[in-house]
Amino acid sequence: METEQIVKLEGVYKRFPAGKTEFTALNNISLAFGKGEFAGLVGPSGSGKTTLLNIIGSLDSPSEGTADVLGKRINTLSHKEAALLRNMGIGFIFQTYNLLPVYTVYDNVEFALLLQKRGAAERKKAVMEALEWVGLTEKANSKPSALSGGECQRVAIARAMVKRPQLVLADEPSANLDSKNSHHIVQTMKRLNKELGTTFIFSTHDEKVMQYLDRIIQLQDGMVVNQTGL
Amino acid sequence: MIKFLLKGILNDKGRSLLPIIVVTLGSMLTIFLHSWLTGVMGESIELSSNYNTGDVRIMTRPYANDKEQFPNDLAILESHGLVEELKKLEPQVEWAERIRFGALADFPDSLGETRGQGAVVGWAVDLLGEGSKEPQRFNLQESLERGRLPEKGGECLLSEDLAARYGVSPGEQFTLFGTTMEGGFSFTNFIVSGTIRFGSPALDRGAVIADIKDIRAAFDMEGASGEILGFLPYDYFNEEEAEAVKGRLNAAWASDEDEFAPVAQSLRDVPGMADFLAYSNYIGSIMIFLFVSAMAIVLWNAGLLGGLRRYTEFGVRIALGEDKRHIYKSLLWEALMTGVIGSVLGTVLGVTVVFALNSHGIDISGMMKNATMLMPSVMRPAVTPVMWYIGFIPGVFSMLLGNALAGVGIFKRETARLFNELEV
Ligand SMILES: Nc1ncnc2c1ncn2[C@@H]1O[C@H](COP(=O)(O)OP(=O)(O)OP(=O)(O)O)[C@@H](O)[C@H]1O
Ligand SMILES: [Mg+2]
Repeated sequence: METEQIVKLEGVYKRFPAGKTEFTALNNISLAFGKGEFAGLVGPSGSGKTTLLNIIGSLDSPSEGTADVLGKRINTLSHKEAALLRNMGIGFIFQTYNLLPVYTVYDNVEFALLLQKRGAAERKKAVMEALEWVGLTEKANSKPSALSGGECQRVAIARAMVKRPQLVLADEPSANLDSKNSHHIVQTMKRLNKELGTTFIFSTHDEKVMQYLDRIIQLQDGMVVNQTGL
Repeated sequence: MIKFLLKGILNDKGRSLLPIIVVTLGSMLTIFLHSWLTGVMGESIELSSNYNTGDVRIMTRPYANDKEQFPNDLAILESHGLVEELKKLEPQVEWAERIRFGALADFPDSLGETRGQGAVVGWAVDLLGEGSKEPQRFNLQESLERGRLPEKGGECLLSEDLAARYGVSPGEQFTLFGTTMEGGFSFTNFIVSGTIRFGSPALDRGAVIADIKDIRAAFDMEGASGEILGFLPYDYFNEEEAEAVKGRLNAAWASDEDEFAPVAQSLRDVPGMADFLAYSNYIGSIMIFLFVSAMAIVLWNAGLLGGLRRYTEFGVRIALGEDKRHIYKSLLWEALMTGVIGSVLGTVLGVTVVFALNSHGIDISGMMKNATMLMPSVMRPAVTPVMWYIGFIPGVFSMLLGNALAGVGIFKRETARLFNELEV
């Protein structure tokens, strides 16, 4: 099956200074992700999952090798260009939700669109639609502190999806959730993946998440040790 | 976006409460101190101007060189003619002839023997002339302690402290010993019509205020005046205007070869006054500078704490595709809005305090007993147009400065670091 590649990593290394020497967090990673994939990085703690997601998300750049995401070479992007790439093309979902506590659910979801300088009417329509995807239209005016963990993560999904990015990166999205909520949010994302064709890349330890993944990439000590589902 | 930031400020007390309190207090204090200094200094200057120097002062050249001694042998002759000339040259100025003198007052007992003698400083001014503004300049009516103001020639006023020291009551007579213009000895009897207290210890110690006609007669100074004072039509000392008048007059008289040609000086030329004026002009900016620095340091720290608390927010905003530069700018916008909110509150409070104290004043006469400087004994802040905006200078500026400094710390962090810190 030939699909359009939206993420392409070739010979990626990431080294962090560790005292006098260097610590190699990613060791010669070459991977590609196509449009509409629902894929996951799995592996023990410290294996480099977050580091890899950060590079794909243009929050960090490789020490060596090349990373191309949505047609942009991450290695050479300026701060501003990287911000623009994230703004237009990439959504993030975090383990700890990271909603802005002083704003309402609605404001939290709307923020991504404010950055894109969309008009008010358009923003409103998109925000309400995103809240509908995750079943939270009734909570639009609540503050995050009034929501359960599962609801918070659904708001985070709405926030990531509201701008309809081509790529969503989810770093251990279920780690703080109980079993029922874990299933619920992954099902929600899977549905959006099917309906909107959005590419999802997870990092996870969670068996409940893994069962939904079309493709599993196993990392260990910064290297890809196994892949299934290709 | 502005609306979004404003919502954040209003919803997040931790972000806004401390800065707003600091800014409110800072701009309130700035306004108060500015008005206070302007009021107190302005009133001191007014006193000097009204009692001693006018806004500009005309003397003969040799008199001017020795003016602290009141050398009346060097007085302006035919001074009325000079006043007429001055009225033509500078019609906006009000001119008043005066004679200043030092003398000895001799208070007799009922038998005419000397009961006591004291040195006095004298003001000879137009007390009795119709429409004279001199009584008003000395605030005589309000300063009267006992008796009444002089109503005819031969009457004069004594300062209350002096009268009390020698047990003199209104209606009693005393003898003034002085020198004539020719250097001869003169003595003249005066009746004390009343006693006055100016509230300025430097004046109250031993002052005689008499009508200029009587003093001319007493000291053989017919047609002469020691000084001609010019008063500009402003409530406060208008330094620029006074200097301009002085400059024009001196230019007109520059070519006069006469040894006793007139010369103009302004209030500035009083010894120490130039410094005092410079001080009163710059004290405001120094004060604001100090406030800005102190407040900026407090707000910088508040900004740093607030920034640390908001790492998650910054991380999320970066992930959502906001440029760090943009986040930095939005912090400055927040600072601007917080600063404006605080400054508005501070201005309202500060202006209220100024208005309240302006109408009451604070009586400091108790502390001023031994002062030699001409100072009012009731201090009040001045209501000036400046007070409506001066609070915004420290308020907004220190908030911007503080947050700009705090923001640099956040701005300098690597994107991934900032981001990792939030992931913990
Ligand atoms: N900024 C950094 N500086 C130094 N070392 C780092 C940095 N970021 C990550 N590392 C190191 O790189 C390795 C990989 O970290 P990473 O966060 O990618 O692991 P992970 O697979 O996401 O682990 P977990 O499952 O615990 O989230 C770890 O040993 C970590 O200590
Ligand atoms: Mg991780």
